[in-house]
Amino acid sequence: MADADTDRRAARRPLSPHLTIFKPILTMMMSIAHRITGAGLYAGMALLTLFLLGAAIGGGAFSAVSWIASGFVGNLIILMIVWAIFHHLLGGVRHALWDRGLYMDPQGRELLAQGTLVGGILLTLLLYIFKTLAS
Amino acid sequence: MSVSTRFKSGRTGTGDAYVSDHGGSPHAQFMRLTSYALIPLGALSAWWILGIAGKPLDGVRAEIGRPIPALVLLAFGVVGMIHARKGMDDIIEDYVHDEALKAQALVANLWASRAIAALWVVAILLIAAPK
Repeated sequence: MADADTDRRAARRPLSPHLTIFKPILTMMMSIAHRITGAGLYAGMALLTLFLLGAAIGGGAFSAVSWIASGFVGNLIILMIVWAIFHHLLGGVRHALWDRGLYMDPQGRELLAQGTLVGGILLTLLLYIFKTLAS
Repeated sequence: MSVSTRFKSGRTGTGDAYVSDHGGSPHAQFMRLTSYALIPLGALSAWWILGIAGKPLDGVRAEIGRPIPALVLLAFGVVGMIHARKGMDDIIEDYVHDEALKAQALVANLWASRAIAALWVVAILLIAAPK
């Protein structure tokens, strides 16, 4: 049973993940990036909602929110959102493959981690190029 | 022989260590199901989200005001924010250790995600509605 002594010891026990102790490796970085892009998309959706509300109302409301999607900052925000969508999407595909027991060996999981990183950037670039050509 | 454990379950009574009162499995299953829907919705939405960058008001409305982009973006916003809420729940549960603060953060997350999804739907409906 838990008593005061074990409570004190439990309080001193370090909490996982031991980010400052582990050697940084790619699979771990992609796990962290998956969480960061997920949280980032939450914020990105809030910003986009604000922008769309402004676009729906028009006039002064649109001028007030147009920084979200135009100019240097706006273009950067949109590009980050698109990249975060693809990075998080590929991270999810990676998890779906692992759910089925695939690519869990050292080479396989390293390949998926690299694929997530490169694929997210590549898909963003491809989409940007196609979008520029289409407009 | 009876095996007694300190685990208690509202569903099965005392002594069953293998059934949890918590929703870990449904949560994981829900994240997977929504994520499958978000693969096509996210990829298509990315195309139209990129399309609003740097556009004037007319250009933004033209890009997402058509039926198919509007419908896909609507679904993306709603399914996405349900998925995002559950994901943010995980982050809160992992990093907020104070029980009272954790409960408050979870409620704040629930209503923030609902507000974003609702306003997202309203905005797109206003843009796509026939004038």
